[in-house]
Amino acid sequence: MRVHQPGGHLSRARGAEVDDWSWRRTKRRLGTLYRLARPYRARTALALISLLGATAVALAPPYLVGLTVDHVQGGDTSQLPLLVGAFLVVGVLGVGLGYAQTYYTGWTGERMLADLRRIVFGHLQRLSLGFYERNRAGVIISRLTNDVEALDQLVTDGVTSLVQNTLILAGSVGVLFFLDWRLALATLTVIPLMALATAWFRKRSGRAYRGVRETLGALTATLAEDIAGMRVLQSFTRERPAQDNFREVADTYRVSNMQTVSLNGVYFPVVDFLSTMATVVVLGYGGWLASNGDVSIGTLVAFLGYLTNFFDPVQQLSQLYNTFLSAVAALDKITDLLDEEPEVSDRPGAVDLPSIRGDVAFEEVRFAYGRGPEVLHGIDLDVAAGTTVALVGHTGAGKSTIAKLLARFYDPTAGRITIDGVDLREVSQESLRRQLGIVPQEGFLFAGSVADNIAFGRPAATHDEIVAAARVVGADDFIARLEHGYDTELGERGSRLSLGQRQLVAFSRALLADPRILILDEATSSVDIGTERKIEQALRRLLHGRTAFIIAHRLSTIRDADLIVVLEHGLVVEQGTHEDLLAAGGRYRSLYGDWVEAA
Amino acid sequence: MADAPAPRYRTTFFRLLTFLRPYKLSMIVSVVLAIASQAAALGAILLTRSVVSALNHDNLDELPRLVGLVLALGAGRALALAGRRLIAGKQALQVEMDVRQAVYAKLVRLSFGFYDRHQTGQLMSRATVDLQAVRFFLGYGLIFFFQHVFTVLGVGIVVFIISWKLALIVVAIAPLLIAVAYRYSHVSHPLLRDVQQKMADVATVAEENIVGVHVVKSFAQEQAELRKFENRSEQVFAQSVQANRQRALYIPLLSFLPLLSQAAILLVGGHMVARGTLSLGDFVAFNLFLAMLVTPLRALGMWIGQAQRATASGERIFQVIDEHEDIRDVSGARELPAGPGAVTFERVTFGYDADRPVLRNVDLELRPGRSVALIGHTGAGKTSLAALIPRFYDAQQGRVLVDGADVRELSLTSLRREIGVIAQDAFLFSATVRENIAFGRIDATDEEVERAAQLAQAHEFIEALPDGYETVIGERGITLSGGQRQRIAIARAIVIDPRILILDDATASVDATTEARIRDGLREAMRDRTTIIIAHRLSTIALADEVVVVEEGRVVARGTHTELAATNGVYREIREHGLLERVLGEEEVA
Repeated sequence: MRVHQPGGHLSRARGAEVDDWSWRRTKRRLGTLYRLARPYRARTALALISLLGATAVALAPPYLVGLTVDHVQGGDTSQLPLLVGAFLVVGVLGVGLGYAQTYYTGWTGERMLADLRRIVFGHLQRLSLGFYERNRAGVIISRLTNDVEALDQLVTDGVTSLVQNTLILAGSVGVLFFLDWRLALATLTVIPLMALATAWFRKRSGRAYRGVRETLGALTATLAEDIAGMRVLQSFTRERPAQDNFREVADTYRVSNMQTVSLNGVYFPVVDFLSTMATVVVLGYGGWLASNGDVSIGTLVAFLGYLTNFFDPVQQLSQLYNTFLSAVAALDKITDLLDEEPEVSDRPGAVDLPSIRGDVAFEEVRFAYGRGPEVLHGIDLDVAAGTTVALVGHTGAGKSTIAKLLARFYDPTAGRITIDGVDLREVSQESLRRQLGIVPQEGFLFAGSVADNIAFGRPAATHDEIVAAARVVGADDFIARLEHGYDTELGERGSRLSLGQRQLVAFSRALLADPRILILDEATSSVDIGTERKIEQALRRLLHGRTAFIIAHRLSTIRDADLIVVLEHGLVVEQGTHEDLLAAGGRYRSLYGDWVEAA
Repeated sequence: MADAPAPRYRTTFFRLLTFLRPYKLSMIVSVVLAIASQAAALGAILLTRSVVSALNHDNLDELPRLVGLVLALGAGRALALAGRRLIAGKQALQVEMDVRQAVYAKLVRLSFGFYDRHQTGQLMSRATVDLQAVRFFLGYGLIFFFQHVFTVLGVGIVVFIISWKLALIVVAIAPLLIAVAYRYSHVSHPLLRDVQQKMADVATVAEENIVGVHVVKSFAQEQAELRKFENRSEQVFAQSVQANRQRALYIPLLSFLPLLSQAAILLVGGHMVARGTLSLGDFVAFNLFLAMLVTPLRALGMWIGQAQRATASGERIFQVIDEHEDIRDVSGARELPAGPGAVTFERVTFGYDADRPVLRNVDLELRPGRSVALIGHTGAGKTSLAALIPRFYDAQQGRVLVDGADVRELSLTSLRREIGVIAQDAFLFSATVRENIAFGRIDATDEEVERAAQLAQAHEFIEALPDGYETVIGERGITLSGGQRQRIAIARAIVIDPRILILDDATASVDATTEARIRDGLREAMRDRTTIIIAHRLSTIALADEVVVVEEGRVVARGTHTELAATNGVYREIREHGLLERVLGEEEVA
């Protein structure tokens, strides 16, 4: 029984917590980003330059308006065409630089993300099966989707927004001091208040938004589950309680969302009021200065113009904080994944396994999963080419572990496994697996056509070869009856086919790959008698002339095997043919009694 | 739902508004507050104008009063903003909840046929993505609409009073800005949606690769998979760049248009000031008014696009809400009468698609307290036959009677409460084991739950779970094996103590050893109940008192095991397959 950590689907939404701010970790984060950006240095530079330009240009209009006011106040229109001309130039420059900036930052950001997706996916392809057995599929998938998307927000919008808003803020302050330092100082007295309000808001809203994400996660999960289980729900007349429960979950979400509404309802009006206070300072103190002739009216007008620009960046920066945190958290998770080393890798100078005959030997093979307890305690097996081996024993006896070691999904902790006398660790994984055929339980299929699925192991196969393979295992009839025959799309995980049909397609797939050694995990489910017959027949054809290891559940398969290996607690307790083992009257015989009872 | 007629925007739009009916008052208050806050901003500009005029004429006496008024207006505006945010925000969340409840209430009433036709993901997107679009529109969109319209009108009127010539320049940008903003929203949305769609494709490829990793590795197809993934990922890139290009074009343009207008004001207004036909205060005020107009004009353009999308989303939500409920209580439906659990099919014809009958003219009588195995090839109609008893579907012709009452005349709740269904795939909910077992009878006592678990041979393994009966299972908890799930499903059916029990392929997906264990549980569950067993395994079929053979939608044979062994081919085939192994086994073991 696998134990899953509860709330897996929620941790995806959470994850905005970053606790490690050490320099080492920060350096690694920056290193990852730098490596992603390096190939696009030129464009990154262009993005940065145009961003600086666009920001500088955006700062000009209030100043120009102020100048105009001062000029026309004195009745002087001589400079007017020049000022208006400058205004227009600024506008046109703004469009050009704005275009360049948005385009280049967008392009570079998206390019980096596409590269990152490829790197992560490529890395995942190299990782061993052990990694996939230790981690939930959902979590791995979310590295490629949710986490990359969280980075997306940072890389495309976040960085731009950060740089732009900071520059506008700093630039405005600079211009204000340039215009009049006394008035600037007086106006900026609202900044500490603003900082206090923002700090308060940031702290509270971080918590509140986390609450919203969690309750929304629960709401979505409840809805998804209830829709998926609607038939059960209705069969057991649970409509009313389910509705009550849903109302409760929806209300929890509403209440937690109301907290963010309340926070925003306080913070944003406060910011608005603070900006009014700044205006009041400009009009009051500035008015007094102007009446003394210390500043011009144009300067006051420019001040008012900058103030409208001033408080937007503050608000936007305060919202950026959460984006930034989730992006860093996502980046950490992705770097952790990229640091994961495959447990099974080709040794340097690994050669290709030559074309094999099919003799398999296990010599004193011991194995433990990771640091867990040993599950195989010295397995010795000698299998001649062409033999069908049935592995039998209770759940946990070690049957699938043996199969996985033979496919070199793991390496033994002691002892060795050879094919035709060659140690598996000496050869490249690809050359080994190309000559193996592995048929998993229930025949996992991919979305795509029937033909694609059959040709999965040999994408270059011709249509005739595909049909021939299907014909041999007896899958041809039902495939031909599908609406588009071999081109019929199977839907997610082959959902359009019945269990038995999926198995037959999986058999065709294995047959087309024409492996020398076959590893087969027999399905446990029962299907109707006609299909059952077909599967038995297909199996016989598939096994013909190959070495095969079968994790067997069907009585007929076990009886027909050339060699039955009985496993118990990681040891081979008996081996031989059906007749020999029955006659010996040991473990096999009592197991067999169980099966016959169940048939 | 899939082949919906072209959206009728207008009707849908007004129908969406009906969701607001309970919140008329708070809606009005929000709009009034929104308008008040904008009026305050307008007033502040007028005061600024007076300040500039006073300064220009060196009239300092007015200054303190004017500045005080600006501060007072600012405070008033802040209060109005806060009030609007709180009231409108609360209302938005309530409306969202109402729509969500309405959709959910409909979902629980829709029949099995509806769920056969629609995938979970499809329905989820109605209840999440579409709902969100509607929520934004109903919650904030309308209020913003009124606020923006008021701002544009208010500013327009005030500037015309001050100087109609300059006002023309200000107002001239209005249509242009609205049009460009609308165009942008119109162009960018399909692009962004396409990006999302392509992103979903990437996720699908990734998911399949990771869930099927053993197959990928077995066939050494890592490189091919990487190419496939890369191909999808590059499509996302290309589409994102495309969307980004639109953004790069429109966003700077939207900032440029107001600048153009402002340049005109500077030029014309500047000359007027110099000539003395416009006061300096008015000149400054015009610049400030223009700034105040830009946001609402842009927002109006975007708003039109959003309203259209919300209406399209509303259309999809209404499709669910309006979906015909094919299985529901007739008016005056009566309770299922007391009885021993007799089931009768009278000339029943049924098809999921009315033109393609799955059952043809079936007559069948099930005696109370006895068990019957339905056998036959896949697609013969066994499951359909059983599904008519709890009225998961209605027969097109003929009647199904339970204890003498036509199921269509009974209340669904009273009927289904007396029928326990155990299906092939035991769907359990993310809840504790206890809650799952008591699923059909929330008020079941601990003793009843444990008793049912014991009968279902589940008690032992449940006790061994980390928290026993309180262990959370399913998606959000511990994963159980198929056999364990199946035994909990059996306990779930036993707890409701039904008159009739339906085992639909209940043992198909477990191995022989587990099946042997479940069989004991089933035997207990079936005692004294009318039971229908659908199965392929001889050992499960053997639990039944008699066997009914179904072939191409018809009952072709019925009898005891011995009778059918002599007369029926299908039965003989199953029996021989099973017995062959049994006989062989027994001989050799003996």
